[in-house]
Amino acid sequence: MARRCVEPMRPSLVFSLLLILLLAIDGALLMDGQNRRRVQDATLAQLEVATSSLGLTDLAVATEARYTRHPAASDAVAPFMDHPGAIEHFPTGAFWLPPR
Amino acid sequence: MAQPNLEKQINILDYALSSLWRHRLKSLSVLLVFAAVIFLLASFQMVTQALSGKAKQVLVHTPEITLQKMSAGRQEAIPLAYRDKLAGIFGIRRVVPRIWGYYFDEVRLANYTVMGMAVDGMPEGNRLDTALAQGAMPGPGERGRVVVGYSITKALDLNERTTFSLFRPDLSLKPFDVGGEFSRDTDILTNDLIVMNLDDARDLFAIPAGLVTDLCVYVANPKEIDTIAKKISEALPSVRVLTRPQIQKTYQVVFGWRSGFGSICLLSALAAFVILAWDKASGLSPEERREIAILKVLGWETSDILAVRFWESVIVSGLACLVGMTAAYIHVVYFGAALFRPVLMGWSVLRPELHLFPRLAAGDILLIFAFTVIPYLAATVIPAWRSATVPADSALGG
Repeated sequence: MARRCVEPMRPSLVFSLLLILLLAIDGALLMDGQNRRRVQDATLAQLEVATSSLGLTDLAVATEARYTRHPAASDAVAPFMDHPGAIEHFPTGAFWLPPR
Repeated sequence: MAQPNLEKQINILDYALSSLWRHRLKSLSVLLVFAAVIFLLASFQMVTQALSGKAKQVLVHTPEITLQKMSAGRQEAIPLAYRDKLAGIFGIRRVVPRIWGYYFDEVRLANYTVMGMAVDGMPEGNRLDTALAQGAMPGPGERGRVVVGYSITKALDLNERTTFSLFRPDLSLKPFDVGGEFSRDTDILTNDLIVMNLDDARDLFAIPAGLVTDLCVYVANPKEIDTIAKKISEALPSVRVLTRPQIQKTYQVVFGWRSGFGSICLLSALAAFVILAWDKASGLSPEERREIAILKVLGWETSDILAVRFWESVIVSGLACLVGMTAAYIHVVYFGAALFRPVLMGWSVLRPELHLFPRLAAGDILLIFAFTVIPYLAATVIPAWRSATVPADSALGG
């Protein structure tokens, strides 16, 4: 009886399969993203009403300092309120650059 | 002609993959470090893109012109009488006074944003009830009734009761009755808000009659915003005039690459690249020299060895880019950028649940690609050429 010789897969084929797996994951994420976008867009009308009827100017993400809560409407010296050139002491100041 | 060339490239790719597998510990560590750098950069890019995109979407409806009085470089209350000076400017549709500010709750150490105005005087004011999860906005004559954001309900534990009190500046208590709660879908705008009538806000902050925090100005023709803003600046020199385009622009620059966190990410990425490039360029090990010499003796050409090195770099950087960006997307969309929350929200006590959704365009992906993969490929060109030009006899003889 002849012995069956199983040839190992070529490295390029293994790599291609890995790439296809990664791209399939990305494709699934993309499709889920489309669904999430539809859900988010449905809430846009509520956000628009809240913005226009309250005259809101900023996003309520960082509430610790007034210049990160309202970067658009706070006064420009607020980050340096203690003295000119004062070291920024709120952590969010590292992410929320004061507008110039 | 194309077929043998393709076959040759696939063979070279096979060799490059086997070579990476032989040094799998080194290859994997390079891949992981590289993917981590790309993950950080891409996450930062996606968070800022999602936030500035959301701001761009919703701040289209912000007041056309907002007026604040400045004194000694700081904002202070603006007299209602300034409305009379605006009456002469043609093109202004309406002026709505507003009192808003921050209330620091010393028990919970949280900052609330208090907003008082006649909502029915604002555009779409009569539709505000559609943004509420329950209840209704207080009517013009209803004193003491408020509408609150979700975090206020949570912080003040308002599930069981509908009343709470806040301190006036003289430490006397002002009672409020909760008439409604904003929908959770508007959290990103209303999370820390307490909305009330103008008179209630005036009473809470003890602001004298005749003064407000700012004036919202609406114009008849949006194309005239800048012209009217200029006229207002001339009529009221001590007033800061904020226009809608300026407010919208703020969010496009506020998360700039110049911000501290952006620089840290960028610097760490650059440092990692320098180390990688240095590692690649810092000479060949005796094993590598011997391997190249053997390949040359077997008939490989310099261009073939260059191709092997090129494929190795493309595999490592391409795979790292794909893994890093996929992980960044999952981190931002499914975990609400959990790693960045400490810096994004800092010491904030009231924190909205972020539902970030970056609208990635081809340009964003290309930007990350250009910042990461291309420098890596460039950094490996010279070492690849150096390795390919090793004379066979010297490597074997030595």
